Amino acid sequence: MSHYPAAGTWTSCPACGRHVHQSQWGHWQQCPYCHYWQRLTATDRVAQLVDSGTFMPLKTTAKSHNQLNFPNYDEKLEQAERKTGEAEAVTTGWATIGSWPVMLMVMDSHFMMGTLNTSVTRRMIKAMQAARQRAVPVVIVTASGGARMQEGLYALVGMNLILAEVARLAAAKLPLITVLTDPTMGGVSASFAFKGDVIVAEAGATIGFAGARVIQQTMPTTLPVAFQSAERLLEHGQLDAVVVRPELRSYLINVLASYQQLGRPDHG
Amino acid sequence: MDERLRRLRAADRISAPMVIKALLPTLVRQHGDRVLGDDQALTAGFGRTAQQQGLAVLGVDRGHDLVTRRQKNGGALTVAGYRTALRVIEHAEKFDLPVVSLINMPGADASPKSERFGQSQAIADLIAAMGQLTVPNVVVFLGEGHSGGALAFANANAIIMLDDSLFNVASPEAVAAILHGQQTVSDAIDLLPMTASDLQQRGLVDHVIDHTQPDLVQVICQQIMATVTDLKSQTNLTQQREAKFQRFMDWWSEQ
Repeated sequence: MSHYPAAGTWTSCPACGRHVHQSQWGHWQQCPYCHYWQRLTATDRVAQLVDSGTFMPLKTTAKSHNQLNFPNYDEKLEQAERKTGEAEAVTTGWATIGSWPVMLMVMDSHFMMGTLNTSVTRRMIKAMQAARQRAVPVVIVTASGGARMQEGLYALVGMNLILAEVARLAAAKLPLITVLTDPTMGGVSASFAFKGDVIVAEAGATIGFAGARVIQQTMPTTLPVAFQSAERLLEHGQLDAVVVRPELRSYLINVLASYQQLGRPDHG
Repeated sequence: MDERLRRLRAADRISAPMVIKALLPTLVRQHGDRVLGDDQALTAGFGRTAQQQGLAVLGVDRGHDLVTRRQKNGGALTVAGYRTALRVIEHAEKFDLPVVSLINMPGADASPKSERFGQSQAIADLIAAMGQLTVPNVVVFLGEGHSGGALAFANANAIIMLDDSLFNVASPEAVAAILHGQQTVSDAIDLLPMTASDLQQRGLVDHVIDHTQPDLVQVICQQIMATVTDLKSQTNLTQQREAKFQRFMDWWSEQ
């Protein structure tokens, strides 16, 4: 479970280091001292966003394996599966949000930092195709360090393939709403994350292409205050909104309602 | 530095401007993205070949001496560069010009400025637009190209590589870094398929050119023209392009 608090235990806040009890993190998983928003698992994120009990996961058979025999990749996959109980870094399924039907995809940073690989690509493409069949808007919650290096170019070309599918969604005039959460970087940031019709970020999220550490290795420089924070990106005109976690659901309901010509009572 | 990498980054390496000069004697340069500025690392424009074939070109090079390397940011494109490239391919689509990209570039421009102006958005837009072109597009790896920035140019109907060039998800240095120094940079090159011959075997790369040939620039131009001619005779290039990457990824089976 990594730094994620298990019931009845204390964990230290990744931001301020203070010891925080499970009950103090609360429903929204926020540090009571420094107000840091804990990174959510896909399961918790889904529960916070959708109408209770409406999430119907798409069937997935994909299980990743180490086809290039990259050092330590098998172990990392196994650890991630054990830690999250998921087979890959994205969860896809039908749901309603404020009774609006959507195809929801949620990336999970607890699974190998939410990295994009062949299985994640396949799941996302399948989900978008399903959404197109039923003419339902797509909501993608990103949380990813980028392309998964252990799968080499096989992971990178997923950006091309997902963007081709995004173009088909656009041709079908189906809204794509991307919700950028902490962290959204690299190949995920430089592909579908920034191709949403509406792009909203969760407050406190770090969003960018090259990470702060890489930038400082390349050119020793003082980085601007709040560098790559959602709030700064909003100021720079790169996002439509920054929304705090408890208001994300109502924000999405308002966006979906505003595409009212898509109103449908169910998933058809 | 690893000998293979040193060669790709050497000052006397064949560069995009050299090939473009031979390919398009009538080149009309296109400068700048009209908003942020002009990226010196990008040599872009359109023109006619000696055989009267209209082409649009995008060349990325690192510069050949200290001054030009500085002007060109070592070949790391900035946001203005990606957006200029986007403008050039939209123009190519409008006038039915095949697009030829020639690249030798490191990974992304890791700088606060590129982040400030939305490097992610710029790369995403270029990858998406390349994928949707109805005109043929071809990329030639003259040196190395890694990560999303190179992928934006490599979302193409055909990929041509010089036999000693490299194309990967990340630079060999970055691959070595995630292994926490267990492997050297030289070893990292062999850990993932990134060489021209390996990627050709895996069906991603269509043509590999021996870089030791005497008339290398001419050989590259001929290969580009043969590839463009072949692609022009095909229908539905958007679909062909997507199918190419789909086939490549399908090798990675599911269990």
